[in-house]
Amino acid sequence: MSSDVKPTETLDVRGEVCPYPDVKTQKKLKKMKSGEILEVLLDYPLSAERIPRSVEKLGHEVLKTEKTGTGEWRILIKAK
Amino acid sequence: MENTNKSKVEKGLDLIETSLMASGLVVGIIFGFVLQRGRFCMNSAFRDIILMKEYTLLKAVALAIVVQMIGFHLLATLGYIELYPKTFYWGAMIFGGFIFGIGMVLAAGCASGTTYRVGEGMMGSFVALLGLMIGGLITSGGALKDLKSYLQPSEGALKAITTDNPGPYLGNANLTLANVFGLDPWIFVVIIAIIILAVLIWKRGGSEETKTEGTAYEKIFKRGWNWWVTGIAIGIIGIIAFIAYKKYALGISGGWFGFLEALITPDHDKLNWFTFLVIGVVIGAAVAAVIAGEFKLRAPNARRLLQQFIGGLIMGIGAVIGTACNIGHILSGVPQLALSSILGGIFIVLGCWVAAYIMFMRG
Repeated sequence: MSSDVKPTETLDVRGEVCPYPDVKTQKKLKKMKSGEILEVLLDYPLSAERIPRSVEKLGHEVLKTEKTGTGEWRILIKAK
Repeated sequence: MENTNKSKVEKGLDLIETSLMASGLVVGIIFGFVLQRGRFCMNSAFRDIILMKEYTLLKAVALAIVVQMIGFHLLATLGYIELYPKTFYWGAMIFGGFIFGIGMVLAAGCASGTTYRVGEGMMGSFVALLGLMIGGLITSGGALKDLKSYLQPSEGALKAITTDNPGPYLGNANLTLANVFGLDPWIFVVIIAIIILAVLIWKRGGSEETKTEGTAYEKIFKRGWNWWVTGIAIGIIGIIAFIAYKKYALGISGGWFGFLEALITPDHDKLNWFTFLVIGVVIGAAVAAVIAGEFKLRAPNARRLLQQFIGGLIMGIGAVIGTACNIGHILSGVPQLALSSILGGIFIVLGCWVAAYIMFMRG
């Protein structure tokens, strides 16, 4: 499952409500160096769809979005 | 003899009442299913315009409004329904709408978003819902009763503005875009529909389309829906709601106020069509979430829970003062061209933006 890319940092926003997963992801990406990989763990369905859309608009690269369990997702993003 | 007849009539009325309530439950279940699949939440729709330049849910809201606007006016023209725009208390619409908008950002969901997320197992939304119900009741008959009567007075500058010439299709004398200008409602329906559809077609595609792979079953039950599917579905449900309930289309907050009132008083008359609708929404959303593998009991930290409760409380106060929540105004009132709902809706959006700016965008 996670044998693919090794994340530089992990952001666990499970339990968080709208729009904190998105806001925290964007804030974290801003601080990261270009090429570093952020792993986001979340359990809010709307953000699982919206984070990939919105970070791509900001120029970051979404490497992977996967459902890891009931109501849980994992997103891998490469910072721009 | 007379007694027997009377009880037969009463039984008949009870039956009509029961089937009407059952229709609320059925419409609610379908509505909840669609809300969960489409992630339909107006807090996100409006907040994300300024917060992340994201327009996906806004497009769904706009399309649902167009579908209903055409549907409502078609049904009214054919004589199946009359439209019931809400009363134009301008001060109440501005104040109630504005604080409702602030409340929904704090609560992390509008009235409908909060309701469907309870069905997904989100405890924060459940807490926000409690706040909404309590806020509503203290404003309709409790500590904040005077604030409500001050903003919805029968005399003075803030009193309701009505019209002597309501024009066609209306069941009351409240203001609409059409009767304010003395024009046929269809002129506005056609112009607004063309403008919104043109913008939606012009701005179509792009990253806002969810990648849809897999079978039809997976697309419907496993993945989030594309905005246009959600928009059309919500629009159709609104039209069905108007046919079923007759006196209005969809609404959320009023249903929850009735629910709490029926719980804490022996007065079961407070259970209204909307109460069955909102219970249905929770059930429908839960079913959708379970099938999709998205149901999970989860809670944020205590500070966030408190924030959501306060947000719910403010939403409840705003919904009673402004006479409706985002669903009653923006989803159901705006398509009736109700001036009250247009004003209330504008201030819901403004309140949302002010709160979102303060909470997420400073610094």
